[in-house]
Amino acid sequence: MSIEKENNSKNFKGAWIQFKKNRMAYYCYKILIFLTVLAVIAPFLATDLPWYCKYKGTRMFPAFSFSNNCELKDPQNGQTERIQYDIADWKHMDAEQIVFAPIVYSPSKSDYDNSDYVGPRDKQVFVTSDGKTIDMPIRFRHWLGTNKAGEDVLSGLINGTRVSLLIGILSMSIASLIGIFLGGLAGYCGDKKLHNSRGVCWSMTLGLVIAFYYGFFMRSYFLKDAFSVSNSEALKQVLISGIIFSMVLFLFFIVGKLLERIPVLAKQIYIPVDSIISRIIEILISMPLLILIISISAIAKEKSIVNVMIIIGLTSWTGIARLTRAEFLRITTLDYIQSAKALGFKERRIIFRHALPNAIAPALVAIAFGVASAILTESALSFLGIGVPPDLVTWGSLLNSGREKFQAWWLVVFPGLAIFVTVTVYNLLGEGLRDALDPRLRE
Amino acid sequence: MLTYIVKRFLIFIPTLIVITLLGFMISVNAPGDPVERMVSAAESGDALNSQTKNQQEQAQYWTHKLGLDLPVFYVSLSSFAQSDTLHKIYDRNEREALDRLISKYGNWKEIQTYYQQLNVFDELQFTATADSAILHGPDRNKILDQITAIKSETIQLKASYEDVIIQNKFKEIEQMLQMYPFFAGAQQQLKSVQESYEQIIATASPWKNYIPQLNFYSNNQYHRWLFGDGGKFSKGLLRGDFGISYTTKEPITEVIFSKIGWTLFFSILSVVLAYFVSIPIGVRAAVKRGSHADKVSSLLLFVLYSMPAFWLATLLLITFANPDVLHWFPASGVKPVTGYEEGVGFWNKVRASLPYIVLPAICYTYSSFAFLSRTIRVSMLEVLTQDYIRTAKAKGLNDKQIIWKHAFRNALFPIITVFGSVFPAVIGGSVILETIFTIPGMGSETINAIHTNNYPMIIAILTITSMLTLIGFLIADILYALVDPRISYK
Repeated sequence: MSIEKENNSKNFKGAWIQFKKNRMAYYCYKILIFLTVLAVIAPFLATDLPWYCKYKGTRMFPAFSFSNNCELKDPQNGQTERIQYDIADWKHMDAEQIVFAPIVYSPSKSDYDNSDYVGPRDKQVFVTSDGKTIDMPIRFRHWLGTNKAGEDVLSGLINGTRVSLLIGILSMSIASLIGIFLGGLAGYCGDKKLHNSRGVCWSMTLGLVIAFYYGFFMRSYFLKDAFSVSNSEALKQVLISGIIFSMVLFLFFIVGKLLERIPVLAKQIYIPVDSIISRIIEILISMPLLILIISISAIAKEKSIVNVMIIIGLTSWTGIARLTRAEFLRITTLDYIQSAKALGFKERRIIFRHALPNAIAPALVAIAFGVASAILTESALSFLGIGVPPDLVTWGSLLNSGREKFQAWWLVVFPGLAIFVTVTVYNLLGEGLRDALDPRLRE
Repeated sequence: MLTYIVKRFLIFIPTLIVITLLGFMISVNAPGDPVERMVSAAESGDALNSQTKNQQEQAQYWTHKLGLDLPVFYVSLSSFAQSDTLHKIYDRNEREALDRLISKYGNWKEIQTYYQQLNVFDELQFTATADSAILHGPDRNKILDQITAIKSETIQLKASYEDVIIQNKFKEIEQMLQMYPFFAGAQQQLKSVQESYEQIIATASPWKNYIPQLNFYSNNQYHRWLFGDGGKFSKGLLRGDFGISYTTKEPITEVIFSKIGWTLFFSILSVVLAYFVSIPIGVRAAVKRGSHADKVSSLLLFVLYSMPAFWLATLLLITFANPDVLHWFPASGVKPVTGYEEGVGFWNKVRASLPYIVLPAICYTYSSFAFLSRTIRVSMLEVLTQDYIRTAKAKGLNDKQIIWKHAFRNALFPIITVFGSVFPAVIGGSVILETIFTIPGMGSETINAIHTNNYPMIIAILTITSMLTLIGFLIADILYALVDPRISYK
């Protein structure tokens, strides 16, 4: 037990040392950490709200504040003034002290004085509070230009990091949960392992229909209404439905167990798990992924980034599942699993303690590649303007806005570069992982 | 071999069925009412009654034509209380309202009576009993407005299911009807509607909802979608009829036939080009492993591989199709805007189209090219370390023979298997590239369909591209059998 644990950690340590030796992958790992930090602090790094502002004797921290407004009291005449953070004109305010964020623009707020594609090296103007037009102060420059509406490209890029990384990580979490579970199930159980008596199988089949009827079909209008009320209400109703569903199913399971006593119904039925899952994978991979995702997002009622994540997650687990399945198939024939079985360990222990940790390594590689392709898919979708809400600034939507005017090269080069770098980083990371985890390639 | 191909085809059938099911599920769940979209805007005219009548008839016609008055699928789960004729009601809101009433009260018979009474009320000619003098008098517009108001209230009533709301609507309509004496006939009808509603509540039997019921329908929407209805309105997907486009009302098959050419042209061209270019590069890189050329080409291929197609396409456009930088190629389309000159031969047409094709072809090809080269390099590397290669060297064969005759043939398998994944990637990629280069193919049609909520088109494209992918798999399998003599497929 302790030996095995040590072995495991040794294995991973070895992989890590190997991974570090691969300079390219290691740099990518560092870039990834940088991007993650950037994504986390993006709303504070690139925002038009100042970090700190002292105005008429009141100190404010608009960028870090949860409330959107602040009441000022004039010490001289006792009048109160209200400042609403998101619409206040900070750049023209004659505050006593003001500290701006490093990038002084929010991604989806327009700078009307510099609208209509102002390039990074073009003349940018600033209108002072007394109406004079002057050259842009260096502090307020649009370092990477603006788009047609006058939105700052750099700010959009920084805040877009968030969307991209989130899409990559969340959709791949969904995909890897499904993929590892189904792949593991198919690989470990095969066609000949999962079996039950006829009584239980038939009773459960009927039970599934009945449980679905009482759990979801009869309550369909409850659920529908709950979804239109609020998310928490919907969650509650779905939970109730789930409980009813599992209770009815359990009831049928007991009935099935009782039926087993009849000799005819005691005969065992094998459930071809592997064949079923392999077929599902085959069907999914025979549809062009992008067209499938586009078709599904067409029926999503509202455009939201969460929907895109879920759709990408639900459609891109096949690679992970196939690798996990193959790995499980290989591992279950190995001696140490056989000896674990011979020692009389429980199935659960064999799967989770012995098989899964070894099978997960190749899946990890597939996940790294999957993140890259999920990011690519998302940016393609927002490039085409499908599924992603139009007011959300992402790398893809920025790139798309550059298509309308060929002279605005900065709208094409920088967002594209951001996508390219992120995708490359994940791909290189995947390769590094693959080399590090493959003992044959170790020196 | 032939039996193998036939077998492979047979395996495709379940896959295809599931794909059509998935497509069908998407189209059934699509938001919006297709009938509403098909009914053209009502003709202008002040005969209000006949106008709504006309619209209703049109709606009924389209419902029938699109097969929406049929049950959805072969099997359906319902409660004992539910009627099996509910699907014949073509208005989605009304259907839902009735369904909700059933799930609340459970007595379909009474609800049906209520609905029929309501329909009778809705179809009443309010002005039939009126004096023509009043109708053409100064109050004419007022009366018509009143009738419109009552009509809209009735439509809302039909779609309501909550007790409070229904009672409210009853009251409102009653008040409106009291305004003019010649509405008396309508009032009578409203009374009977109200009575039938009270009957529903009085004889409520909600227990019926707790009894599940399985229904089977031989004639249903899915069946009709697949097999058609005997050629009356649709020939069915199996005979190549995908229905009609919601936007232009043209048959979808015709639209796709006119578009699929360019998509196939670019996909096949790019796959062929990619294979031709990548084989020598991959093999060379593997043979000269570790050399300078290998390192440079590896890096370059990797960069190409992770380059987003839409970025490269846009970059190419703003450099080579931009009048300000280099205007070597046109920015959009596949042929001159004015069309081909009349009476020119095939080769002249090709020459006219060539500048339009170059940039898209590059974008279509580069990513599969990079992927293929890398695959070939890896598989060659593996083969070159095998014992039989050493034996061949020891025998004194020259490099060319070793590489092409012994190593390459065995390194071919992986790149044949990846054909199955290269082809769908190319077809899927066409969605983006055709939009950027405005190529009139299936990809740009997909985007059009999405933006206009043209669901039958989306489903048709999903199904067709999946079929093309399956054909790609089949080709890969056959090629595999041809190259590898060990495989006999028996």
